[in-house]
Amino acid sequence: MIPLENFLILSSILFCIGFYGVLSRKNAILILISVELMLAAVGINFVAFSSFYDTERYSGHIFALFVVAIAAAEVGLALGIIIRLFRERKTINIDEANELKW
Amino acid sequence: MLSKVPLPQQFDRLIVTGGIVTSVFVILILTILLILKFVGFISYTEVFFWLISSGMIIGALASVFLKNIVHAVFSLLAPLLGIVAIYLFLGSEFLALAQLLIYGGGVVILLLFALMMTDVQDNPVVIDGSQKPVGFIIAVLIGFVLLYSIFTADIEIATPSSLSLADLGSNIFTQFLIPFLLLGILLDIALTGALLNGKKHKNLQSSDSDE
Repeated sequence: MIPLENFLILSSILFCIGFYGVLSRKNAILILISVELMLAAVGINFVAFSSFYDTERYSGHIFALFVVAIAAAEVGLALGIIIRLFRERKTINIDEANELKW
Repeated sequence: MLSKVPLPQQFDRLIVTGGIVTSVFVILILTILLILKFVGFISYTEVFFWLISSGMIIGALASVFLKNIVHAVFSLLAPLLGIVAIYLFLGSEFLALAQLLIYGGGVVILLLFALMMTDVQDNPVVIDGSQKPVGFIIAVLIGFVLLYSIFTADIEIATPSSLSLADLGSNIFTQFLIPFLLLGILLDIALTGALLNGKKHKNLQSSDSDE
């Protein structure tokens, strides 16, 4: 049987990789990809703790389900914004999106 | 618009290269793990777990470090589908299925659509910022803190228990009913907002009026 620590270590490594991606990328879609990685890592943590210790209510499973739904909404909204940005500025480099209004 | 889709030459090369690289990594890791298995260190469950998790980490690293946007989006499939197997390890079949449908089927396709509508064909190679070393240092520090706290934590031994779909449904619709309803409202608002945001405004001076 696989102990809890393995799942936690896996999710920490994935979270750090996603965090590095958020900090280092400049393309908006690639930043979105890294955010997806971080959300997935958090989902592993939720489900692991809930499956090992919270065997009465399984709150973590339900939270992970909610995270999946919210991530889907977030991706739809963010891609709408990115396409709008590209249509008006011809770029999705976030360094060039430096005005609040144009 | 259709001429901007990166098909088929780039797609063919992508699939062939990705298949070769993936199979080399998988065969290498699987060989090491099977040797460890026959020596007697680990069991078949652990062989599967280590194979899945190393594939997830390699895919995540590729999607963060690769220069080509299309390659990075396809590499994201490895961690997102590996999570399905991790959820199955933890005994949650419905969550694994939902993850497979939403992420593998929905999110990656949406990302590819967004890539198609932006300038991926003109310059698929992205240049990362000068903040890269700082980001690396911060990410390593956060990873060090997380791993240190995991290794020094006093975790009591437990066995994972699987969750049946009936229990999940009764929990959602009794204890977590109000968050569930709020989630529905949130999804409604988000999709309406995305629709309104993507709509062209008449009074806005759009520079590409030919679309």
